Amino acid sequence: MSGGRAATGRWELAAAWAFVLGTGTAAWALAAAALPLPAYYLPPPTAVLGALAELVVKGILPLYVAESLRRILLAALVALGVGVPLGLLLGMSRRLADFAYPLLNFFQSVSGIAWLPLMLVWFGFGERTILVAVNYTVFFPVIFNAMLGVRSVPRLYVDALRTLGASRGRIVRDVLVPGALPAIATGMRLGLAYGWRALIAAEMLVGAHGLGFMIFSAQAFHLTARIMLGMGIIGLLWVVLDYVLLRPLEEATIARWGLVQR
Amino acid sequence: MRAATVLRGTLPFAVLVGAWALVAGAGAVPAMFLPPPADVARVAWELARDGALALHVAASLARVLVAVAVSVPLAVALGVLVALHRRLAAVAEPIVAFFNALSGIAWLPLAVTWFGLGWASVTFIMFNTVFFLVFFNTLVGVRLVPRLFEHAVLTLGGSRRHVILHVLLPGALPSIVTGLRLSLGFGWRALIAAEMIATSTGLGFLIYNAANFHQSDTILVGIVTIGVLWLLTDRLVLQPLERRTIERWGLVAAGS
Repeated sequence: MSGGRAATGRWELAAAWAFVLGTGTAAWALAAAALPLPAYYLPPPTAVLGALAELVVKGILPLYVAESLRRILLAALVALGVGVPLGLLLGMSRRLADFAYPLLNFFQSVSGIAWLPLMLVWFGFGERTILVAVNYTVFFPVIFNAMLGVRSVPRLYVDALRTLGASRGRIVRDVLVPGALPAIATGMRLGLAYGWRALIAAEMLVGAHGLGFMIFSAQAFHLTARIMLGMGIIGLLWVVLDYVLLRPLEEATIARWGLVQR
Repeated sequence: MRAATVLRGTLPFAVLVGAWALVAGAGAVPAMFLPPPADVARVAWELARDGALALHVAASLARVLVAVAVSVPLAVALGVLVALHRRLAAVAEPIVAFFNALSGIAWLPLAVTWFGLGWASVTFIMFNTVFFLVFFNTLVGVRLVPRLFEHAVLTLGGSRRHVILHVLLPGALPSIVTGLRLSLGFGWRALIAAEMIATSTGLGFLIYNAANFHQSDTILVGIVTIGVLWLLTDRLVLQPLERRTIERWGLVAAGS
């Protein structure tokens, strides 16, 4: 495809996009005005904009966004700093990996939200419960995939380096860790996807600030415009995080270090 | 050989339960926080005997099944239809991606506003989660089918219907099955959270309600049940399904 055609394609797409968003919003406004429903069932788009302005002016929205982002970022850092090295270590020993596999598989398949009731008994309604639930949810897919990543490196590469006289440290640095990178990126993406949703759920249930708390508490007062605003922001934040950071990272690691054998 | 595999799968859990029994038995942690495994087993037996566990499991599974039965056919049909028009698909993809990002528990407040607390709200959340993920993956799957195959069938005199039934749908199947796996993973988690808030049956309700009475033993029974149910679904439904679709319809060889 020539550059010119690609450019027209992009303009066409942008125009189509504007059209779809425009008609969608118009249809929504029309439905909100025409349907014989109580106003709180389907507030018009203007009410959502109004809620946005109100919450920004009051400073609530920036605060809640910052709170939610701080929590998920902390979980991401813990998973990167502790989960990845631990997973790599486990993966390097066949015996340890065999032992850890069923356990990690079990713990990663139970979401952090299922542990939340137990955390409530242990820590009560508060920040600590939210953090434990979210960290748990991100941590296990990351450590599990890091371990699988090391295990999936073909023996051939390890043997090749060993034959050439490489030390154990050299093999870890040049073969095992780079070979595990695509799996680590996949694990981070999956873990954070689950973690973001677990965070929203935990904020609803525990109720200590954050976007989940914002939309859940709005429900009690029938502030539906506020709910829709919160949902829009929750979705947008994830789309940005996923498409700007996580997906490119995953694709880059697979392109650079992917060991798919053909 | 077989015995060794079983041992490899169960030994780690035996060690874990042993360590748990030691910690709980040493009395360092009050039983209210960490009941010993024997207590949990006793509560599990009681819940199983009086039918409460079966009731909650059935409620959760029924919600999953209803959501899957309704939304998967709808999502696949709609996904193929939209993907037939490549331009429409290019416009639709980011919109569906946005709804994927939103899928799950974030719908709960709106669902409760619209349908009230209860069965309808929880099913609506499940429906949303499964529908958009399967829709998205069908869309992407159909778009990834090489046009060559489509042209080949058309050249040989195949109709549009032939192309859909024998090229696009089979070609998209591996992607659709991936979508199903993802949607069940996200849906199952969303369901547990939604049951905590919006209903009075289901495993989510069981464990959240138990937290109100500080019944850690009941909570642990629920957690283990949730984990085991997922592992069974994975082993008995998803993995065989994936293996078969990829073996039968995977386009790996043709693509590379």
